[in-house]
Amino acid sequence: MEVSSNSLTFYDFLDRMRHPASLDLVRSIKSFIVSFSFCTANSESDSKKLQDFLLTMESSIRDHPLWAGATEEEIDCAVEFAQKELQKMNAFKAPREKLLCILNCCRVINNLLLNVAMSSDNVPAGADDFLPILIYVTIKANPPQLHSNLKFIQLYRRQSKLISEAAYYFTNLMSAKSFIIDLDAKSLSINESEFQEKMIQARLDKQEKCIEPCPKLEDMAGPGPSTRRHEMEINMVVEEDYPFMRADPGELTVADVEKLLNLYKEVVTKYSRLRRAVKSLPLAKEPALHFLEAQDTLPRQPRQQEAQLILPQQPKQQDASDITEAK
Amino acid sequence: MGCSSSLPDRTTSGRLDSLNSQVVGATESKNARVKLVLLGDSGVGKSCIVLRFVRGQFDPNSKVTVGASFLSQTIALHDSTTVKFEIWDTAGQERYAALAPLYYRGAAVAVVVYDITSPESFDKAQYWVKELQKHGNPDIVMALVGNKADLHENRKVPVQDGVDYAEKNGMFFIETSAKTADNINELFEEIAKRLPQVSSS
Repeated sequence: MEVSSNSLTFYDFLDRMRHPASLDLVRSIKSFIVSFSFCTANSESDSKKLQDFLLTMESSIRDHPLWAGATEEEIDCAVEFAQKELQKMNAFKAPREKLLCILNCCRVINNLLLNVAMSSDNVPAGADDFLPILIYVTIKANPPQLHSNLKFIQLYRRQSKLISEAAYYFTNLMSAKSFIIDLDAKSLSINESEFQEKMIQARLDKQEKCIEPCPKLEDMAGPGPSTRRHEMEINMVVEEDYPFMRADPGELTVADVEKLLNLYKEVVTKYSRLRRAVKSLPLAKEPALHFLEAQDTLPRQPRQQEAQLILPQQPKQQDASDITEAK
Repeated sequence: MGCSSSLPDRTTSGRLDSLNSQVVGATESKNARVKLVLLGDSGVGKSCIVLRFVRGQFDPNSKVTVGASFLSQTIALHDSTTVKFEIWDTAGQERYAALAPLYYRGAAVAVVVYDITSPESFDKAQYWVKELQKHGNPDIVMALVGNKADLHENRKVPVQDGVDYAEKNGMFFIETSAKTADNINELFEEIAKRLPQVSSS
């Protein structure tokens, strides 16, 4: 649902852009694009140019009669956009980039507030309005590894850069995080029983979602949750030999890459030997071959995994097919 | 005074830790960067005061590029000292009260605002003052501001109450009107004069 309303708004945007009244906007976008082709590429200055352009463009679009007055849908869209900015944070490696995600998110919220202030009661929005929206956006976005990312920025962003505005918006996300951690009925101005009820409901919803395989990063990196129990049993046996069996993608560090690679090689070697051994057995062990075959051809089918040879999580499942080619 | 000489380039001011130092970024006392935190109940006009100070106008339709919750403004004092205020607005609602220490940590100035037509907001202001005395930076410069002075016919908090309370707590007191711009610049100029780093130069 959300996706469709989002794209609708985007098409709506394109439609409005095609309107003759938007000619001046289209013209300035075009001349901006052309201006780019004359200069040599420099990501820093390009980014600056682009950001400046976006800022001026945004305000001229906002001022434009066709876009005057933000609708509910557009506000939803902006909130969603702010969430996406926040969700990106975990995907970036450098503290500077992670911090930028926060700033972008806050910028989207501020633009939204500005729109609302201009089109309605004209009260300029300060922190009284900003923080609640940031908290809402943070809850909705549920950015992966939020606490660790914030800690990481705090520790590793060059201190002289974590000042002024950046420090302010960073502090806001820190406080949004701590508000969410300490969330209770009182802080939401609802009564205790209602709060408990909603929390139980939310937990149930979450569990349901987890049973359905969802395309989250964690799930893509390892076998689906339905195989977890089986995996655990194997883990007990091989934990010593394969220390990454229980590792989550977020826990891994660069230093683990070498270990993982060695383990991967070891597993591949063992696997190839095992295959060769099975094939050369005088008695054609149909079931055994079947299960190895099944793993090669259908690595992603959860039902088959009952009989699967479980590889460590990190050489991902696609590596299993590489093995077949290598043999 | 302050953080002199080891870093001659004051524009980069690389080594300074904004979270811990009081008047930050100033490699020379002549150009101080000051973190100022605004505290006060929601609706007392904290952000209006800042907008008035930064943009010199009450008009909310003026272009704000980033947002009204963080703004900075530089003022020049008579002795050619400049003070750049970095103004941190805080959410005034009761439910966010516990988060305030994250904001006033490392602040050199705290401006506690109330609405002269609202005794509750004056109580809340006193709560913030006590909070800052307990947990804030001991050298923090505090100002008590009674805003919405233009609404004097609805006044519920007598001027004298503000004066007395501020005096008792070693604060600077002023009544302002963000709407008419009354005393807005005076508030920030007075704060600048009271900053230890600036006044000692």
